[in-house]
Amino acid sequence: MSVLTCSKVDVQIAGIRVAHDLDLEIEPGQFWGLLGPNGIGKTTLLKCLAGLEHPAAGEVLLESRDLNALPRKLLARHIGMLQQHTVYVFDSSVIQTVLTGRHPHLAYWEREGAKDLEKAREALKAVGLEGFSARSVTGLSGGEARRLAFAALLVQEPEIMLLDEPTNHLDLRHQVEIMGMIHRRTHRETCSAFAALHDINLAARYCSHVLMLFGDGDWCAGRTGDMLNETSLERLYHCPVERIESANGPRFHPSAV
Amino acid sequence: MMPTATRRLLFLMLASLSVASIFAASAIGSVTLDWNQWLMAITHVDSDHGELVWRLRLPRAAAAWTVGALLSLSGCLMQVLLRNPLADPYILGVSGGASFAALLGMTIGVSAGLVPALAWAGALVSILIVFSLARGEGPWSGTRLLLTGVVTASGWAALISLLLTLGPDSSLRGMLFWLIGDLSYARLPYWAIVILVFVFLACFAMARSLNVLAMGETTARLLGEPTRKLLWLVYLLASILTATAVSIAGNIGFVGLIVPHLMRLLVGSDHRVLLPAAAMFGGLFLVLSDTLARTVLAPRQLPVGVVTALLGVPLFLMLLNRARVKQ
Repeated sequence: MSVLTCSKVDVQIAGIRVAHDLDLEIEPGQFWGLLGPNGIGKTTLLKCLAGLEHPAAGEVLLESRDLNALPRKLLARHIGMLQQHTVYVFDSSVIQTVLTGRHPHLAYWEREGAKDLEKAREALKAVGLEGFSARSVTGLSGGEARRLAFAALLVQEPEIMLLDEPTNHLDLRHQVEIMGMIHRRTHRETCSAFAALHDINLAARYCSHVLMLFGDGDWCAGRTGDMLNETSLERLYHCPVERIESANGPRFHPSAV
Repeated sequence: MMPTATRRLLFLMLASLSVASIFAASAIGSVTLDWNQWLMAITHVDSDHGELVWRLRLPRAAAAWTVGALLSLSGCLMQVLLRNPLADPYILGVSGGASFAALLGMTIGVSAGLVPALAWAGALVSILIVFSLARGEGPWSGTRLLLTGVVTASGWAALISLLLTLGPDSSLRGMLFWLIGDLSYARLPYWAIVILVFVFLACFAMARSLNVLAMGETTARLLGEPTRKLLWLVYLLASILTATAVSIAGNIGFVGLIVPHLMRLLVGSDHRVLLPAAAMFGGLFLVLSDTLARTVLAPRQLPVGVVTALLGVPLFLMLLNRARVKQ
């Protein structure tokens, strides 16, 4: 049960400050959606949260300890990240790739055991890749590779899941399934998730909280129901937005220009 | 995931084939021994044939095996380091530095026994040049390492051409053989075996980390690897392997490229299987190539580098073509 905290974090891209004085607490049970237009620093912020990059100012804390002071192996047991792009250069089997998710949990000389294999098989089943075990990763389609990377993240069992556009390349069914899976995992309060998204309606449907980056340093964060409305979305995307009520709450569409 | 039984069987097969190839190489040559003669030679060191087998052929075959294993292992590491299945042990200029120093020694006429030491020194200089230039602050940059290495290699190549142009005609042939890669004068230096064993154990111990590293630096960091340290370690280990191989036998081409590639196709990309398999197969491949080099135009001996290239080029093109068809 770890809390990931941003304290007075500045995010810069090419010297331009896109988020200023960002204060954020990602607590167990929360599923955050990170919204903002292209090139606004969503990926950079995710990298700061994963300890891959230093924020321009401020600090990111895991259980009130600075990320950069923690050894990577320890971090990897608490924080996992699905990257925006998944490229496999070397031929490797699907099952072996999923098993790399166990890496931070294994001792130096240890081999993956029956338990690890069981977890890997479960994860493959969860993302609809059962029967793919022996397949080569270089032959997978974009969506399949994406689901494979997500399976590896599941096997890593991090308490905090960072996801950079998790629904990229996925068809409708798999978008909903993966978002549902993250939602259920966080709902049981065992872990938290923080996902950069472009689909407002997926955020509206699944996320408990939303962070919006406006690009001029301004940001706002809070419960999804309070955050998502025509005014904030129009300010966010510079595009007129129309609100439609559905049985599961409001949904948003770009209105005709 | 390769089942344990299959893996053991594969290792056992490669190990026995390696031993068999070394023994076979000791029987075949300008004077080919039949089974009885060979047994006599092996058991009687002081006989004529015994001398031939123990003093000439076995050390040469063992040197060939060692060099093949060194180059293949180095190739595997370079491919992970540069995240490119087509990288080879010579790409970052280690062999260039070694060759230049060795050829310089030959030009000024140092004794043949000193050439390996000079080669090692040249390799070390090259390793240090590339290391200090490519290091720098900021995140690890594979591209910067690649460019620094490739350009350094070109620099060495230019210096080597200069030596070849200015050098006395009498030493040209020896230089040429050295550049192509030749085992004629290779005597098995025990320190090379020690280096092979130690570096192999070090690589094998971090084989799972190499698996993760092969998936990209960021992925490896996210899975808990301190990648900067790891990458420089891989660079240093690969360079040491290359330097050792080159100092014994010159620039034998294609082994370090073909063998890892072939083994990846055969056993997959798990380095816990790939590293031992590639090392043993590389040794086997070079013993066979060298035997061919000694016998195919006997009594003339070819530099083994010619044979590995002549075997390697078509084999490689075939593999490449097959990969394209598969996609």
